[in-house]
Amino acid sequence: MKKNLNIIFLTLLALVFGCEEKMEIDTEYPEIIMTIPDAFPVQCSTLKRGESFTFRVLLHDNVALGSYSLDIHHNFDHHSHSTEVEECDLNPMKTPVNPFLFIRNYPIPAGQRNYETSMDIEVPLDIDPGDYHFMIRVTDKEGWQTLRGISIKIE
Amino acid sequence: MRGILTFFLLIISNYAIAQKSQLSGVVFDENLKSLEGATVQLISARLVVLTDQQGKFNFSGPFDKNDTLLIAHLGFETLEIVLSSMQEERFLKVKLKPSDQLLSEVMIEANTISHRKQEDAMNIEIVRRNFIQKNLGGSLMQSLERLPGISSIGIGSGQSKPLIRGLGFNRVVVLDKGVKHEGQQWGADHGLELDQFAAEEVALIKGAASFIYGSDAIGGAINVKPARPPVANTFGGSVDVIAKSNNNLYGTSVNLYARKNRLFFDTRLTYQRYGDYRVPTDIVHVYDFPVSLSDNYLRNTAGLDKGFHIQTGYITEKLKSIFYLSHIHGKSGFFANAHGLEPRRVDTKLHDSSNRDILMPSQHVDHYKIINRSDFNFGEHQIEMELGYQWNFRQEYSPYVNHGYMPPVYPADMNVSSVLERAFDKKVYSINMRDIHLLGKHEFTFGINSEYQDNAIGGWGFLVPAFTQLTSGAFLYDKFSINEKLMLHGAIRYDYGHINTLEYTDWFTSDITTPDGEEFSENIQRAASLSRSFNSLVWSAGLNYNLERFQVKANIGKSFRMPIAKELAANGVNYHYFSYERGNPKLSPEESYQADLGINWTRSKWTIQLSPFLNYFSNYIYLNPTPDHDYYYGAGNQVFEYTQSQVLRYGGEIQLGYALFKNLTSALLGEYVYSYQLSGDKKGYTLPFSPPPSLILNLTWSPEIKRFFQDTYFSFDYRITAKQHHIVPPERKTPGYQVINVQLGTKLQWNNRPFLLSVQAQNLLNTRYLNHTSFYRLIALPEAGRNIVINLSIPFTKQTKLNKNGKK
Repeated sequence: MKKNLNIIFLTLLALVFGCEEKMEIDTEYPEIIMTIPDAFPVQCSTLKRGESFTFRVLLHDNVALGSYSLDIHHNFDHHSHSTEVEECDLNPMKTPVNPFLFIRNYPIPAGQRNYETSMDIEVPLDIDPGDYHFMIRVTDKEGWQTLRGISIKIE
Repeated sequence: MRGILTFFLLIISNYAIAQKSQLSGVVFDENLKSLEGATVQLISARLVVLTDQQGKFNFSGPFDKNDTLLIAHLGFETLEIVLSSMQEERFLKVKLKPSDQLLSEVMIEANTISHRKQEDAMNIEIVRRNFIQKNLGGSLMQSLERLPGISSIGIGSGQSKPLIRGLGFNRVVVLDKGVKHEGQQWGADHGLELDQFAAEEVALIKGAASFIYGSDAIGGAINVKPARPPVANTFGGSVDVIAKSNNNLYGTSVNLYARKNRLFFDTRLTYQRYGDYRVPTDIVHVYDFPVSLSDNYLRNTAGLDKGFHIQTGYITEKLKSIFYLSHIHGKSGFFANAHGLEPRRVDTKLHDSSNRDILMPSQHVDHYKIINRSDFNFGEHQIEMELGYQWNFRQEYSPYVNHGYMPPVYPADMNVSSVLERAFDKKVYSINMRDIHLLGKHEFTFGINSEYQDNAIGGWGFLVPAFTQLTSGAFLYDKFSINEKLMLHGAIRYDYGHINTLEYTDWFTSDITTPDGEEFSENIQRAASLSRSFNSLVWSAGLNYNLERFQVKANIGKSFRMPIAKELAANGVNYHYFSYERGNPKLSPEESYQADLGINWTRSKWTIQLSPFLNYFSNYIYLNPTPDHDYYYGAGNQVFEYTQSQVLRYGGEIQLGYALFKNLTSALLGEYVYSYQLSGDKKGYTLPFSPPPSLILNLTWSPEIKRFFQDTYFSFDYRITAKQHHIVPPERKTPGYQVINVQLGTKLQWNNRPFLLSVQAQNLLNTRYLNHTSFYRLIALPEAGRNIVINLSIPFTKQTKLNKNGKK
C-alpha cells in the first residue's frame, strides 16, 4: 500500500514540475511616455478651437507594440477619467450643446518596441469650449493595454 | 405507513413492564450511550416524563395494559411500544435509531458523507449546515471557499460565484432543489441568487459532470439541497441572528415548520442589511488614479438581502411531492469610484455622509422560483421528477455618462430611464426526470433534462442581445457493484441545444469613416438575429475500490458545453473593461476530457485524501484580448474576441488530518491548479482567473465540557496563498499572502433548549492582501479587513399530536 502511494505521489510530483517548462511569455504592459521633451498634450494642456495640434508621445513595449487609440470627449459634468496625480482647475459644470467628440484608432507598424506618435488633429471652430478628457489607449502585440486619461481645456 | 414516518424501533433486550405499580427503563442512542432529555409518554394515561442524565425514566402505576408508550428525542426516530406486547417485566431498555431527517448528530453525518463519497467515482465534497454556520461568509460561495479546490469570484462583501479548480461562470452548474439555477452567470460582477441559510446540504462535484447535469457542468457542479421534510407530528423551527463587524451587518433568518402525518410545511425568512465594507488601506489606485477612502470604508458597497422560502408537500410511502416557492431579493452598491472598473469622480460628501445608504451605481436582483419535486416508488423503480419555473430579473443603475458616440445629453424622448444602465430579464422552464432501477447488482439511472429560456434585455447600455434557448438531454448511468469492494460506473449522454439571438440596433448614431475615407452616420446594428443548433455525445467511466481504511476512486470522461449567447453574439463596448467584446457566431461546443483520481487513507490517528486531476480541452472558448482597437463598432476600444484554443489543465487537492491528542486535531488542506493554453494567440498563457496555489493549516481543539457546553470547538486557520504570476491579459500579477481566520463555537443548553453559538474572526490580523480572483483585482483593491462574525442559532422542536389517531 505504502509503495503504491509513493508511486502515485512521485508521478504527481513529476507531472506538476515536469510540465512547468518555461515558455517565455510576455506579461508586461506597454507604456505611454509623456516625459519626452515635446510631448503634447499633457495634463492641464490647453487646445485652441479652429487650430490643429500635434499629438506627440512615446509609446514603448518590451516586445512589440500593437495599436493605439485616441478619444477626446467632454468633461463638463466632471465625471473624470484622469489617471494623473496632478489636478487641473475645472470650469463650473455645464450642459453640453455641441461638445467636441473625437475617436480614432491607429495601427502601429509591426515589430516596433518604441514608437513616437506625430499625429495632427484639428479642433473644429464650432464646438463647446471647456473641460475635456484626452484618453490614450495603447496595446502591445499580446493584447496588454495601458490607458492614460488626461484633463485638458479647449478654449 | 410507519416505515417512512420515522416510527421505527429497535429494542435490544428484556423489554418488560409491570402491570401495576412501576414502569421504568433506560434510553440509549445507537452507541449505547444513555440519552438525556428524551420524552417518554404514556398516551392514554396522559403521562409524560423526561429521561434523566443516565437516560432513565420512571412511571408509577396503575397502567392500562393496552396503553402505548412513545419515546422521542430530537435527532432520533420516535419509537412506539404497545404495552400489551410486553411480558411482565419491570425494566425497559430502549435503543433509539438516529433520524436521518435531523442533522444534530455530527457522527452520523460524517458516516453518510463518507458512504456517499465511496459510492461516487468523481471527487465530491459534501458539507452540511453546520459547516456553513462555522465558516459563514458574505455569501454561500464565500462560506464554501475553505474547501480545497473551491474558490469564488466576488464583488463586494455579499456577491460571489463559484470557481471549481479555476473554472467558473457558465462552466459550473449550480443546482438548487434539483433544478439548475439560472441567473446571469457570465458576469464577474454578478452573484448567485441563493440564500445560504436555506441550504441544508451542499454537495460539490470537482470535475466534469456533464453526463449527469448536462451542458455547463464541464468544470463541476454544486448541488444545494433544501431542508428535508420535518419528522411526522412535529412542530418546530429556528431563529438565527447574525452580526458582522466589518460591514456592520445585522441579519436574521427565521424558520418555522410543522408536519402532521403526510402534509407538512416549512418556511424561512431571511433578512440581512449591511453597510460599506472596510479595507485595510486609505487609498486605492484605480488605473493609477488615486482614490482616498474615508475611514477605510469602500464607498457605496452597502447592501441588503431578503429571502423568502416556503415548501409544502405530501408524503406517503410510495409518493413524495414537494412544492418549493422562493423569492430572493438583493440590492447592493458598487464601489462608487470605480463603476465596473473605470475611474470615476464622485460626490464624496454625498457618499461619505452615511455608510449604510445604497446609492448609484447599484444592482438590484430578484429571483423567483417555483419548483415541484416528486418521487414515486414502485417495485424496483424509483421515479424522480423536478418541474421548475424561475424568473431572474436584474437591473443595474448608474447615472447616464455618455461613452463613445452616445449623445452628450440623455434624450428626453427615450422610453428607458436615464439611470437604468442595463437590465436582464430571464425566464426559465425546466424539467428533469429520472428512473432509478435496481436490477441485481446494477443500479441503472435513466434520465432526461430539458430547459427553455427566454431572455430579454433593457437599459441604455448593451452587451448581450436578447435570446431564447432550448436544451434537452438524455442519459443512462449504470452503477455496477461487482462485490462489496469494487464498484464500476458507466454513463452515456446525448444532448441537443438550440439558441436564437435577437437583433439589436444602437439607439444612438455613430460617426463612421470607412477605410476608403467615406463618412456617414448610422445606428449600428450590434447583433443580427442568429440561430444555431448544437448536439453532443458524452460519456463517463469510473470505479470505486473500497477497503475499510483505504479507498481509491478513478473516473475518466468526456464533457461538453454549449456556447452561450454572450460568446456567440456579444458585440458591444464593455466600458467597465475599456474593451469592445466581439462574439463569434461560428463557435463550436466546448469539449473536454478529464481524468480524476481520488485516494483516501484512514488510520486511527490520521487521514489522507488526495484528488489529482488531468484535463484537456480541445476547444476552450476564450475571450482573447487582441492588439487592435476598433473604431467602427468599438468606439476606439481594444478588441476582445471569442476564440477557441486547446487547453491543458492539471492539479489537485490534498487533505491531511492528524489527531495530536484526543481533543486536538490538526489538518492541512492544499489546492493547486495549473492551466496552459496549447494553441491560438495566447499559446503559453494560462486561463483568466487561475487561482494561485493555496494551503490552509488548521488546529482544532474540541474540549469536552459537560453539562452546559456541548460540541465546543476552537479552530485556527492559517491560510498561505502563493503569488500568482501566471496571468493573461488584462490580468495583473498578484503577490502571495497569509491570512489568519479563527472560528469558535459551542452548543449551550439552557432550559433544556440548545443555543448554537459560532464566532469567527476573519482576517484576524487585518492583513492587506489582494485576491487574484476578485472582480476588483484589476484596480488593486485589497480584500476586506478584519471581520468578526457572530451567529446565534436557536432551534426548537415540539412533538405534536401524541395520540394514536394522529398517525395511521
